[in-house]
Amino acid sequence: MGFPLLSLIVFTPVAGAAVLMFLRRDDAVRWTALGVTILDLALCVAMLASFDTTTHEMQFTERRPWVPALGITYALGIDGISALFVFLTALLGWICVLASWAAIDRKVKEFMVSLLVMQALMLGVFCALDLFLFYVFWEAMLIPMYLIIGVWGGDGRVYAAFKFFLYTLAGSLLFLIGVIVLYFHGGETFDILALTAQDLPFQVQSWLFFAFLVAFAVKVPMVPVHTWLPDAHVQAPTAGSIILAGVLLKMGAYGFLRFSLPMLPQASVHYSTLMLALSALAIVYGGLLALAQDDLKKLVAYSSISHMGFVTLGIFALNLRGLEGGILQMFNHGVTTGALFLFVGLIYERTHTRSMAEYGGLMKAAPVYTAFLALFVLSAMALPGTNSFVGELLVLSGGFAADLAIGATAVLGALLGAAYLLGMYRKVALGPASVARFSIRDVNAREMAAILPLAAFVLWVGLYPKPFLDIIDASAKHLLMQVHGEGSGQ
Amino acid sequence: MTAVALFQSVLASLPEIVVITGACILLILGQFLRKGQEPFLVWASVAVVLIAAFVTLMLAGEVRPAYTGMFIADRFAVFFKFVFYLATVLTFLLSQRYAETEGIGSSEYYVLLLLALSGMMIMASATDLLSVYVGVELMAICTYVLTGFLRREQRSNEAALKYVILGSVSTGIFLYGVSLVYGLTGTTQLDAMAAAVTGDPPDPGLLLAVVFIVAGLVFKVGAVPFHMWIPDVYEGAPTTITAFMSVGPKAAGFAVILRVFLNPLFATSDVWIIVAVIAVVTMALGSFVALVQDNFKRLLAYSSIAHAGFAIFGVVAGGADGIASVMLYLLIYSFMNLGIFGTVIMMRNGDFSGEIIEDYAGFAKSHPGLALLMLLYLFSLAGIPPTAGFFAKFYVLVALVERGFVMLAVIAVLLSAVAAYFYIRIVMVIYMREPERAFDPALTPLVRATLAFTAVGTIGIGLFPAWFLRLAQHSVFGG
Repeated sequence: MGFPLLSLIVFTPVAGAAVLMFLRRDDAVRWTALGVTILDLALCVAMLASFDTTTHEMQFTERRPWVPALGITYALGIDGISALFVFLTALLGWICVLASWAAIDRKVKEFMVSLLVMQALMLGVFCALDLFLFYVFWEAMLIPMYLIIGVWGGDGRVYAAFKFFLYTLAGSLLFLIGVIVLYFHGGETFDILALTAQDLPFQVQSWLFFAFLVAFAVKVPMVPVHTWLPDAHVQAPTAGSIILAGVLLKMGAYGFLRFSLPMLPQASVHYSTLMLALSALAIVYGGLLALAQDDLKKLVAYSSISHMGFVTLGIFALNLRGLEGGILQMFNHGVTTGALFLFVGLIYERTHTRSMAEYGGLMKAAPVYTAFLALFVLSAMALPGTNSFVGELLVLSGGFAADLAIGATAVLGALLGAAYLLGMYRKVALGPASVARFSIRDVNAREMAAILPLAAFVLWVGLYPKPFLDIIDASAKHLLMQVHGEGSGQ
Repeated sequence: MTAVALFQSVLASLPEIVVITGACILLILGQFLRKGQEPFLVWASVAVVLIAAFVTLMLAGEVRPAYTGMFIADRFAVFFKFVFYLATVLTFLLSQRYAETEGIGSSEYYVLLLLALSGMMIMASATDLLSVYVGVELMAICTYVLTGFLRREQRSNEAALKYVILGSVSTGIFLYGVSLVYGLTGTTQLDAMAAAVTGDPPDPGLLLAVVFIVAGLVFKVGAVPFHMWIPDVYEGAPTTITAFMSVGPKAAGFAVILRVFLNPLFATSDVWIIVAVIAVVTMALGSFVALVQDNFKRLLAYSSIAHAGFAIFGVVAGGADGIASVMLYLLIYSFMNLGIFGTVIMMRNGDFSGEIIEDYAGFAKSHPGLALLMLLYLFSLAGIPPTAGFFAKFYVLVALVERGFVMLAVIAVLLSAVAAYFYIRIVMVIYMREPERAFDPALTPLVRATLAFTAVGTIGIGLFPAWFLRLAQHSVFGG
């Protein structure tokens, strides 16, 4: 056990939040929050720089006893599956601070504290190697997120915050029971790696699979437990939406990858058709819902449901292309949808409306804005050359290999995506300039600083995805071996 | 009884003797106090409890049976006594300013609290149904009087009257059960009872006796169907007394319940089915009825019913882990519940009662620090990590699943999701409403100290539960 880099990454935002408590001026709070998040990102880059892509083993592991009487340890570590998400969380962290710079003008300190605590907990979720620790991070996120939506959100924020809280709480409490059952079946340990090595009876696996499914499906969210998402997204402030779409939704899928697949391989194989069907349903249904929206934020929110459908589809295709595509697509979705929410937030700050009917011809008023919007819209559509193309292509080829009908449905969903995204862009950016009553200024330097890194990742992953796939590769292969090797006997 | 045995017995019950003696001295001294010297009473009472705590700690080394099997000083009792000390001392600290505002700061108030404390201590140490009875009555009679302490308020009088009548009935039921046990087994000692019962299947009369005893005890912890008194009494009593009752006597009731359930007589019977049903119904009723409360004290009353239900799940689980989980639950519950009550008590200032939830609208705007504390207590009561409330619930669930009661665990967590709703509703009022008035909480140094202490406990046990867990597990095996 060397230098506790992961602990440092996880707890830097907490320390930053503690410092913020003592600051008085709003500007000082903003700059400190920005500094802390950038420092955290720098630590993550340092971590990735020394990340070994040739092994599926956990790296940077730390292990300390926490509650020895119950076999609970404080254990952190990352592998190829979690590394990208740790990085994504840190990347979006400082973009969230920038996105809230002017948008949050009251209780700035409390907001930034919530944001930083949230970031720490999200990082903790991706780093935890102990189920109890994982659960603590996972569940504690409810507190800051509830406040972010409920205090700084839009007009219907209270309702949305309640809905978000209760949905996720109810889901994760069943997960908690599942965790405890697993604890007793797995030899009284919460160690994720030790539990992964267990060979549980199929009956137990099935029960646990569904207990876990409830929690993860709510977070992803999969149809039919997705209804909290549009409310939460629409009401949350921009930074809240970015966190929700960028990171929180990934946690459900991450749960499948970290727990369902390796710990319950037989059940995962057995119920994969069900999961594929639910994924395809989410892709098409989410797309149809997005097509019918007039509210920009709702449109992006429903498109998230559709895009996360691709992710779960890739995961439960249970082949290498699907799996790697799914994981890469999670990262891509975080970047692209985070950017789209950022763009909706930027324009909302200026016009205070999100209704597409009131927009038009934005291209003349804000050419830089619309140019970048075009990039991210194309990325969300998975145009070749952008990040999502790589991910979606892998997912679709994996999906077709798993089930022809499911793959075909997913392609239909991709078509729908083009329809609502292009429709949105046409209504907002093109056409006659009906925005004369708004005084729109183009993006300023601070906003540019938030946009550019995301745009860079869109193109980087789109044009040269190899470094990203390299990170995933060894762990994804190992995961598949765990699923099929011990599972169906293939 | 020889002189040596008597000495040993006195030694074992020294903490109780200290508290009772202290109470008597304070009663006399109180008559000579002039106006404005009330703070002396607070400090003297705290001193009495601290001396008792010190004595308890000194004697904690070994198990001391006393008074020919009526009484025992073991680790189990020590654990509970410290929960009682905690509850009593914090109540004293919270009381000073509140008692002044309400005009109830006479010496009797403190003396009665000390006597209630001694009753609870006897309950924790009792190993005979009759000494249980003595402890229960001593505690109950003191709390009856304390409930009615706001003499000029109708609410308080009504609450006290209800409490006395219902409490007496429940005591009667309990005594009836004891008399049946005595008739059937010829003893009231818990250990001897178990030895006397050898028949299989057990005597149906004995089952009846068990039901009566359970009913009498369940009244004290406020579980369904004997919960009716709780909302009225909690609402009517002075808030400091409500805080005390929701923690101390409740823990004492659980101490007796556990002691009785440690007994093989109960452990081998099917009485756990009754208890499981009680647990489910209690938690369901507490959680659902709390959803529609507007009065903070009534809401906390129903919340305390719900928490009692959750703790009873630990009793159902039984075994070493089950018992330890209940003990840890009660300890943690003391911290967070006294914390939240502390904030309610603090709000009572001048004409402002702070008893209606809407009164707290926008509290976070003017008092962010206090609002943050309330947030902490409320999320802990809701059982959200990393607070202590989560670990308390978690350990009960572990004990349940360990015994194979997975369905009960699922019911318990689903009901606690319901309960979470009304806690976060208060958070919503505090954080997401606009303030309608200026707040002026009575934040005396003593209240500050209490809030700081409970907050440290609530977050500290949540982050570092290992030591407290070991303490609870250790205390079980000592019994």
